[in-house]
Amino acid sequence: MKNNILILFITFVSLLLVSCEDVVQIEVQDGVSQLSVDAVITNKAEPQTIKLSLSQAYFDNSPVKPALGASVIVFDEDSVAYEFVDVKNNGSYVYDAKTRPLNKIGKQYALYVKYEGEEFVSLSKLNRVPKIDSIDYKVERFPIKPENGPQEGFLPQFYATDFEGEGDCYWIKAAKNHKYFSKSSQISVAYDAGFSPGSKSDGLLFILPVRLSLGGELYSDKDTLTVDLHSITKEQFYYLQIVQQVSANGGLFSTPLSNLPTNIINRNAQSSKKAIGFFGISAVSSMEVVIDKNKAKPKD
Amino acid sequence: MKKILLFILSLFYFTNLHAQDKLTVSGYVKDAANGEGLIGVSVYVQEMKTGTQSNTYGFYSLTLPKGTYNLVFTYIGYEKVIKTIDLSAQDIKLDIELKDDSKVLQEVVVSTKKADENVKSLEMSVNKVDIKTIQKMPALLGEVDIIKSIQFLPGVTSVGEGTSGFNVRGGGIDQNLVLLDEAPVYNSSHLFGFFSVFNPDAVKDVKLIKGGVPAQYGGRVSSILDVRMKEGNAKKPQFSGGIGSIFSRFTYERPIIKDRGSFIVALRRSYIDILAKPFLKDDLKGSRFYFYDFTAKANFRMNEKNTFFLSGYFGRDTFGADFGFNWGNATTSFRWNHVFNNKLFLNNTVFYSNYDYALQSDLKKENKQDAFRWKSNIITYSIKPDFTYYPNTNNTITFGGQLTYYTFNPGQAVAISGGVERAIGLADKFASEAALYVGNEQKIGSKVSLQYGLRYSLYNYMGKGTALQLGDAPAAGERRTIIDSKSYDWGQSIQKYGNFEPRFAANIGLAENNSIKLSYNRLVQYLHLLSNTTASSPLDVWTPSSNNIKPQLADQIALGYFHNLADNMYETSVEVYYKKLYNQIDYVRNADLLLNPNVEADLLFGDGRAYGAEFYAKKTRGKVNGWISYTLARTERKIPGLNQNNWFPSRIDKTHNLAVVGIYDMNDRWTFSANFTFSTGTPASFPTNKFVWQDIALPHNYYDTRNNYRIPASHRLDLSATRQNKHALFEKGTSEWVFSVYNVYNRRNPFSVFVRQNENNQTQTEAVKYAIFGSIIPAVTYNFKF
Repeated sequence: MKNNILILFITFVSLLLVSCEDVVQIEVQDGVSQLSVDAVITNKAEPQTIKLSLSQAYFDNSPVKPALGASVIVFDEDSVAYEFVDVKNNGSYVYDAKTRPLNKIGKQYALYVKYEGEEFVSLSKLNRVPKIDSIDYKVERFPIKPENGPQEGFLPQFYATDFEGEGDCYWIKAAKNHKYFSKSSQISVAYDAGFSPGSKSDGLLFILPVRLSLGGELYSDKDTLTVDLHSITKEQFYYLQIVQQVSANGGLFSTPLSNLPTNIINRNAQSSKKAIGFFGISAVSSMEVVIDKNKAKPKD
Repeated sequence: MKKILLFILSLFYFTNLHAQDKLTVSGYVKDAANGEGLIGVSVYVQEMKTGTQSNTYGFYSLTLPKGTYNLVFTYIGYEKVIKTIDLSAQDIKLDIELKDDSKVLQEVVVSTKKADENVKSLEMSVNKVDIKTIQKMPALLGEVDIIKSIQFLPGVTSVGEGTSGFNVRGGGIDQNLVLLDEAPVYNSSHLFGFFSVFNPDAVKDVKLIKGGVPAQYGGRVSSILDVRMKEGNAKKPQFSGGIGSIFSRFTYERPIIKDRGSFIVALRRSYIDILAKPFLKDDLKGSRFYFYDFTAKANFRMNEKNTFFLSGYFGRDTFGADFGFNWGNATTSFRWNHVFNNKLFLNNTVFYSNYDYALQSDLKKENKQDAFRWKSNIITYSIKPDFTYYPNTNNTITFGGQLTYYTFNPGQAVAISGGVERAIGLADKFASEAALYVGNEQKIGSKVSLQYGLRYSLYNYMGKGTALQLGDAPAAGERRTIIDSKSYDWGQSIQKYGNFEPRFAANIGLAENNSIKLSYNRLVQYLHLLSNTTASSPLDVWTPSSNNIKPQLADQIALGYFHNLADNMYETSVEVYYKKLYNQIDYVRNADLLLNPNVEADLLFGDGRAYGAEFYAKKTRGKVNGWISYTLARTERKIPGLNQNNWFPSRIDKTHNLAVVGIYDMNDRWTFSANFTFSTGTPASFPTNKFVWQDIALPHNYYDTRNNYRIPASHRLDLSATRQNKHALFEKGTSEWVFSVYNVYNRRNPFSVFVRQNENNQTQTEAVKYAIFGSIIPAVTYNFKF
């Protein structure tokens, strides 16, 4: 909630005054390169990927360096092992879940990574996810021409209801014509049906701003819209919130930059080699519609 | 501690003993033009080479041995008055009116007034800015602004242009006690900080106390900004006003009963929304964006002994289309001045102050299906008797107390989703603060004067409420867990804190025109503004000290050398200060400060320290006047869990700060002025590395250090020209045009430098310099008075 309010503030301020942004060059101290784990997997019966790479100097815009030669295994609570293999030797470790998906809802999953003699572990839980009841859309016109998407079109909304019981967290992902909105500013997460634990929205229909958070663009007639609702752990909810925060942290109401937490732990607590990144497993419910201008609700 | 009290009491007794063979002259000093009481007028007894000053209500009292004396009344900007009194038979009441000498100045007749207050007064680390000077300084968009003007004084900074509040000697914006006629103002900004809430047309006097704080003030650890409103013209009815680029202003003042009382009402409102209305289409139709403030004050002098004042302020900002929010302050203070006898003066203040904000998602049209509405406030009620006792010319004793009751509403909200309504609320919190103080200003010989005092404050955090018991954090600097919570009934004390606050200041005269001053003070603060953003936002919540939040404490010592030159035409000073702060608040990573019932678990506590040197030179009169101020300073914090537990520069640390203000009164028609500021950039935290997660490049600081870089320095020149017209409207009154240019050489001063992903490729990264003002900002204002 807070972030959205602050973004709104900033928008107002910038509308009223002539603030400006310039890309500049700055010198920063170099840090030490670390193993970075990008492990976001789902219960879907399709290939699952875990990417391992090495962190680089912040302003080094050369391609990401993969971490090669690692062994990557995910275990479920029943000690079943799922091995991820770097088939293309590019740091993308893949497990094809077509026949044996990771779909034990309510169970814990552990990630094991061995890289250059160091062993890293992480835990996540496959939480329940409600089904998406419906998607509708209404005619909309933005007052100002947006950078992406049309100015006039259809504003979609999905309907789903949070489970009873406090603390279910979700990650809402949307795709227009099968291309997912993947910018940091397009991340949408929910705690119960609202934005934060404080909003006490347990068991409600997802609140309006969450229902509308489908990439922020208008759709045209015949566009395909996919909505994926991912269950995530509370830990991952906070992680994604911080990802958003560190990604859009300029302006009057910026907060102090701090490191993202990580749930990737070196088994040897004494080792100086720490990893960064995050491991999370999600159950997904999806719905897809093709926009039909005749079915659109009129503008209110 | 007891010894100090005893000492003060004995002084009382001692000074009384000798009073019989002495007589007293007392009275009020007022402005001849409008009957306003004048604050801080020097009353000098030529024969005794001693004197006093009028208090904040214009009252003075001098007790002298029987005899005949010449009293000299001097005040900067006014003509000197000398009165001969025969104080041999009985006490004398002597009210004085002083005449504005602005005409004298313009004719360049150098008067021989002794404006040596800079050197002679006990006050150090105190800046007074004449409202007339503030009105001449160039201002952003031509809007005269008190808070922005004081940022040109030594030791005063802000985190950037357009931010709310101000920072004094390394203190946070919530560490300043901003008083409007003795009532605290919790948010001093309109439009997120671009303008301050004080209508300059209704302000009489502005005083900033940065150190050596007298015992009658308490409650904040950095500074006191004491703003006094005008009382209203007691001589004749008067209209004044103006149209600027943001506000249009209107003020009316007049006597109520001749020589008995007067009132003033002043209204300001932004008017861009009215101009823009015809151009708003579609969704923007019905948008609201305006801010206004209303100030009113009345005084009534019942008889020679009793005067009453009633003042009020009400201001509000409203923004929004569908989603809207509004915030504002309201204060009311009622004061009773009572002269018990010619030696004992009482001012009793009762005030109410409220700051609240609200936001809602269905501002334009109520939505019963999906909506969010949220409110928060802080309310203060207080009674504050202040006595001043003038036993003899060498001592002025002040004593009194204050009793304050606070209620906090940290947030009450209702969320409606799909027609289901949910109340989200944090329970109200309650606290009281009681204080007693006694202080004395004592002259020892003609060279040395002392001010010493003691304040004791007792704070009580009470029910109805819930006290949380917090466990240890998993690691230093992380969110703590809630172990237990305990409920308390109405009025039941949850936590008490009591603190002695000693205050001391000394002035040692070296010669007629120079002196050394020294001060020490301890200040305590029981209220805290929870704000984790660079600039404070109107949504930040004030929170009371509790069983988990200890009161903030500050100890400050300051040493200064004051020197006047050329018959007090130039005032100069150098001050050094060192401040140690305790129980400073910081925040865990991704702290959730709004609508969070467990917000106390997201707070970190540590120490702060600030030190620096302030250089100040001012030319007080002549066609060209103004000042130069330079501050060299450092502000640091040490918070367990942050920056590997080492000291790090605080977000508001600025090493160099230079301000130059020049005013040129060319002739009757034209006045020109210029401001220049230069300041070091504030610290910022930057990552050393990046890693890619879900195709997004994320920052990582391998060393986990905070505020490890500095953004580039800022500097800016502003100019203004004021043209006086002979008449305002209908051949009556006077008027003026003010032309101003802000940011003359068009510098994009960085507010911040931050890092982000490239818009088109989120695995690439870049640094961005953000400037609040990216261009030259010219403005024209028209003011009138008749």
